Amino acid sequence: MVLDQIDALQLEYLRALDRRDMAAWERCFGETASYVCTTAESEDQGLPVALMLDDSRQRIADRVGYVTKIWAGTFEDYRTRHFVQRLSCSARPGPRLDVESQFLVAYTTTRGQSELLATGVYRDEIVIDSAGARFASKKAVLDTAITPRYLVYPI
Amino acid sequence: MPSLVQWPRRFNAIPKEILHREDVYRLELERIFYGKEWHPVAHRAEVPKPGDYKVATVGETSLLVVHGKDGAVRVFTNSCPHRGTMLKTEARGHSDLIQCPYHRWTFTPEGELRGAPGSEDFPADFRKEDYPLRQLRSAAVFGLVFVTFSPKTPDLDAYLGDCAPFVGKILGDDGRLELIGYQKVIFDCNWKVYNDNEGYHGPLLHTAFRLLNLRSGVGTQFMTQNAHKVNSTVLPAVENSGFLKDFSVIEGRDPRRPSAATIVSLFPMGQMAKHLDVINVRHAHPLSPERTEVHYAYFAHQDDDAALRAHRIRQASNLIGPSGFISLEDGAVFNRLQVGAHTGGAANYVKGVKGPLEGACTLDKGDEAGNLVRWVRYRKIMEFDRD
Repeated sequence: MVLDQIDALQLEYLRALDRRDMAAWERCFGETASYVCTTAESEDQGLPVALMLDDSRQRIADRVGYVTKIWAGTFEDYRTRHFVQRLSCSARPGPRLDVESQFLVAYTTTRGQSELLATGVYRDEIVIDSAGARFASKKAVLDTAITPRYLVYPI
Repeated sequence: MPSLVQWPRRFNAIPKEILHREDVYRLELERIFYGKEWHPVAHRAEVPKPGDYKVATVGETSLLVVHGKDGAVRVFTNSCPHRGTMLKTEARGHSDLIQCPYHRWTFTPEGELRGAPGSEDFPADFRKEDYPLRQLRSAAVFGLVFVTFSPKTPDLDAYLGDCAPFVGKILGDDGRLELIGYQKVIFDCNWKVYNDNEGYHGPLLHTAFRLLNLRSGVGTQFMTQNAHKVNSTVLPAVENSGFLKDFSVIEGRDPRRPSAATIVSLFPMGQMAKHLDVINVRHAHPLSPERTEVHYAYFAHQDDDAALRAHRIRQASNLIGPSGFISLEDGAVFNRLQVGAHTGGAANYVKGVKGPLEGACTLDKGDEAGNLVRWVRYRKIMEFDRD
């Protein structure tokens, strides 16, 4: 049952990103939440600067504004396909779970070429309450230290 | 001999073919990257302790920047002097001794050959002191280490000229920095497209400036004799436009350094910027005529308290990187300029362009004219004749 709720949240998350639906992306996060996208190289070297660092619910909402309002019409758009596989799930005190998954994200340019955008792992803290499962924190750690293009959308 | 490229007669036109031709790129490697120019490769803060190293690239040459036990930072080619094997593959690391995996030749961080197993079978006149790591000429300003392949390159201070104080302004005034991270990306564009446009931000491009109420202030733009560009603007305090729910990420909080936007764009390649409280050096190198890899390195100052350091980390992670909210649009332009480069003809520079310019000059903020100074220097080094 718990795993079903976790998997439903993961699917909701990757569906939001692959449909470029930033409002749906934002809805995957709980009342208090954070989103970080960084690289394994930075983590290994203990370097805190990330590719995206939204350390509060407000910052997550602001990221939606960057993509849909500030950057709108300026960037070369691309489609993504996120492939996500759960690796582990362990309960914490309270209704919280630590979930680790691995991902592979392919992207397709407006010119129709598809390539690999990034691989890596998600380290998530998920809260389950009566409303369902939501991310309390989500960290995408990219194996891809040098991305083949600039990232517009979260991973 | 006719020149490889016929340059347009009009002084403000640049032939787009130089942005993708393989033969032009090969000549640039020889004349520019391995010629009489200085190239930034690392800040001391990227190799803070003795034994720390960083792999850097100039042109297509892999380099090893190593902090020696004597405190000096040296730059070597990343290659064993025995058979040429690449020595270090990780972007950064720490080694008390540098060992080649092939025949276990071992070097000190100062570049001396310490051990070579099986040397009893070597020629009788083999001497370890004849096989140090190949060291390149290097020099530093405010802790930023530059390298050159030529003994004829003028001294770094003379080469940088009037832009050196602005390099200092960006690097915390005294260069006493702490590395806080990197963002690394590949742009599908020629290295000159990157360098020509990264330091020049078309204000029309940046919706963020309007939506976030980031007003530009009073500032200057000038070119040095060697075609380095300096843009320096004092920023008025940012007033919350109400667009952001969390406004703190774009506040200026450094009490010792006024809120400013300072960008130094070096010839031939190298960008550094301080914007609000972000301290950023961009190390770039070509991967091919049509691809450029850029490493955005970010720093805090050693005197920062914990709160200011944390503020720099979140601002650096959001503001002016490849996915930064006031810079992401630039990358989109780089890639489009590259596609456009294949359409033939010339790229034209018009804003603030009143006549031919060469060498040191002062310009209005936002002018394109400064880029022409860089193109004049480029054309002369490449010996491309005008039509």
